[in-house]
Amino acid sequence: MPPVQRNRELLLAALAMLLIGGLYAAASLTVGVPEAGRLLGHSLGVVGFVLMLATETLYSLRKRAVRRARGRMSEWLQFHIFTGIVGPYLVLLHSAWSYKGLAGIVMLLTVIVVFSGFVGRYIYTAVPRTPEGALFEADDLERMIGEAEMALRDRLGSAESIGAAPDRPTVWLVLGRGPKSLTDRLRRWHELRRLDPAARVQAVRVQALRARLRELRRQAASLSAARRLLAVWHTVHIPLGMALFVAAFYHIGAALYFATLQR
Amino acid sequence: MRRPLGCLTGAGLLAALLTAAAITATALASSNRLFSPGKLSAQAGVDLGGVSAHAALEEDCAACHPAFWSASAMGDRCLGCHTEIAAEIGDPAKLHGEIASPENCRDCHTEHRGPTAHLTTVDQVDFRHDGVGFELTAHRDMAPSPLACRDCHAESLRAFDIQDCAECHFVLDPAAAGEHMLSFGPRCLECHDGLDSYGAAWDHAATSFPLLGAHAELVCTRCHLAMHSLAELQRTPQQCAECHAADDIHAGRLGFDCRSCHNPGTWQEATIDHQLTGFPLEASHAEADCLSCHVDRKWWGIPDTCFGCHAQQDHHEGRFGTDCAACHRPTTWADWSFDHNLAAFRLTGAHASVACLACHTSGSFRGTPTVCGACHADPAYHAGMFGANCGACHNTSAWTPASYNGPHGFPMNHGGAGGNCDRCHPGALTGYTCFGCHDQGEITDKHAERFASFSDCMACHPTGDKEEGDD
Repeated sequence: MPPVQRNRELLLAALAMLLIGGLYAAASLTVGVPEAGRLLGHSLGVVGFVLMLATETLYSLRKRAVRRARGRMSEWLQFHIFTGIVGPYLVLLHSAWSYKGLAGIVMLLTVIVVFSGFVGRYIYTAVPRTPEGALFEADDLERMIGEAEMALRDRLGSAESIGAAPDRPTVWLVLGRGPKSLTDRLRRWHELRRLDPAARVQAVRVQALRARLRELRRQAASLSAARRLLAVWHTVHIPLGMALFVAAFYHIGAALYFATLQR
Repeated sequence: MRRPLGCLTGAGLLAALLTAAAITATALASSNRLFSPGKLSAQAGVDLGGVSAHAALEEDCAACHPAFWSASAMGDRCLGCHTEIAAEIGDPAKLHGEIASPENCRDCHTEHRGPTAHLTTVDQVDFRHDGVGFELTAHRDMAPSPLACRDCHAESLRAFDIQDCAECHFVLDPAAAGEHMLSFGPRCLECHDGLDSYGAAWDHAATSFPLLGAHAELVCTRCHLAMHSLAELQRTPQQCAECHAADDIHAGRLGFDCRSCHNPGTWQEATIDHQLTGFPLEASHAEADCLSCHVDRKWWGIPDTCFGCHAQQDHHEGRFGTDCAACHRPTTWADWSFDHNLAAFRLTGAHASVACLACHTSGSFRGTPTVCGACHADPAYHAGMFGANCGACHNTSAWTPASYNGPHGFPMNHGGAGGNCDRCHPGALTGYTCFGCHDQGEITDKHAERFASFSDCMACHPTGDKEEGDD
């Protein structure tokens, strides 16, 4: 099974946004900003909403399709993230930079839900999973930590310390792992710079083993906290999403009634 | 955490319900203003029922948006207030006459675009501008970018300042615009209705006066000077003489249908149908150079008689008069034929074969006497007995036989003479002799008993009867 490329969905979403943004800018310069009620603006809204609807439903359905599962969960998540970014972006362009009435509320909710989605992904990636998306349990992590410690000792020998488990608050281990990972990388880079080339090769291997061990220890220490945070996030994100879609349906119904059906 | 229904969690469903309730309540409380995509226009117009701008209806959505169960539509609400527009619909002379209907108000007049936004957003491509009397065909295609409505209707789409025409067209082509304005005046719409026939692609050939030859190179004002309306342009004279009277070197003598000889290219290339003149060109005349008759390009007053031109060539030196055509044909002088029957003296009998100069001895063909005696001397045989009226006895075929029916003392058919004078009057009519037929010796012997001699037989035989002398 080929490995899933990390952050590919973000890259694709960024490319799609650049392309759509370029076309939108060209149209704006040519015929003016596409109004929400005209063909182009309306089309942006329709396509954006369909993508948002796909974001909300398809990944959720896949998660529950145990018997007739199609595709890897991680790929569905990538698709979920891609549509979850590009769809709201199209809705943003559909707004024609006017945020009045219910349409403005829908746009605001969209922005909030998208931001919430980014937060959710951050928390989600703190929970260790198999490539298929299955959760690792604490026992699995302990076994993997033991294997990592053994590999590191084989490399360092018994005289050198292999470090200890993190002692920070567990919530911080989840939410602060991004900045912590960044500072660790910088520190390791500085250490490598001071070494001669021959020693640097050995040091790189040791650093990789140490980093793997630290990550496993962090995941083990924060496993329950990460799961709690993810549950909390779901508790907040799902109502926000439901509110968004209810408001969006109201907006669509009103637009159809006032702008299309009513002459 | 297991969520078998996905998003349909308790919190999710509660959020959905609360959101729906909040939106519904807000919509009801705000008379649906929650759904308004933007502020209404605040641009003041005519006061209609106390409302001079749509912004005054900001909180009364139902003023324009009827409930879905209502029988009326939005357009009805529009026209309910804008009665003057309702009156225009269907009237071709009015702005909304042919383009508007209660169903399409919003196609041009879009609301909720803010207090300062223009209420009229006409799609220039779809708008039937010809419905307001000015077709935009030519203006739509103007490079590099098509005209926008505001380019011509700066103040209001309902108003048009004729000066806007000049402002653009002076920029596009100052020289042409200046000349055009000076020539035809500034009231562009008097002539231009925007149709192709009066725009850049207008073709003069489509009119009743296509520009041919030299006309095509003229500036418009040569024919349309000081014309300031379409009606004036259409009244432009089309007859040649109406413009070219001053150019007429014929001074009107050839009439005014110049096209019968001239073409529009140049006056010089005239093709004259001489048959239409009083002097059709035949034979040699048709081949002659025009200027051989029309000396010095004199086209009028040219003699139309033979002698008018050919007097110097008259070999008859005028003796036959000046009507050459009486004998000569227009091929050559040698091709002639004189019909003497047309003359006072018809040539009959032997005269027809006589050489002309046998009668016209002096070379003169006029004044030739027609009496016989002028040519024929009275013969001695007649002894002057019959005067000059030869025709009383003779015809023109021959002198003999003659037919004398005058007084004659002796039967003229005696002895079967049959009018043959010579039988009895040989030599001269003054005497006669019977012995031409009657043997003189025998007659003398027979009369010897009575007369020793005799010469006047008629003395005894006045009617020629031989028995008459017995008494």
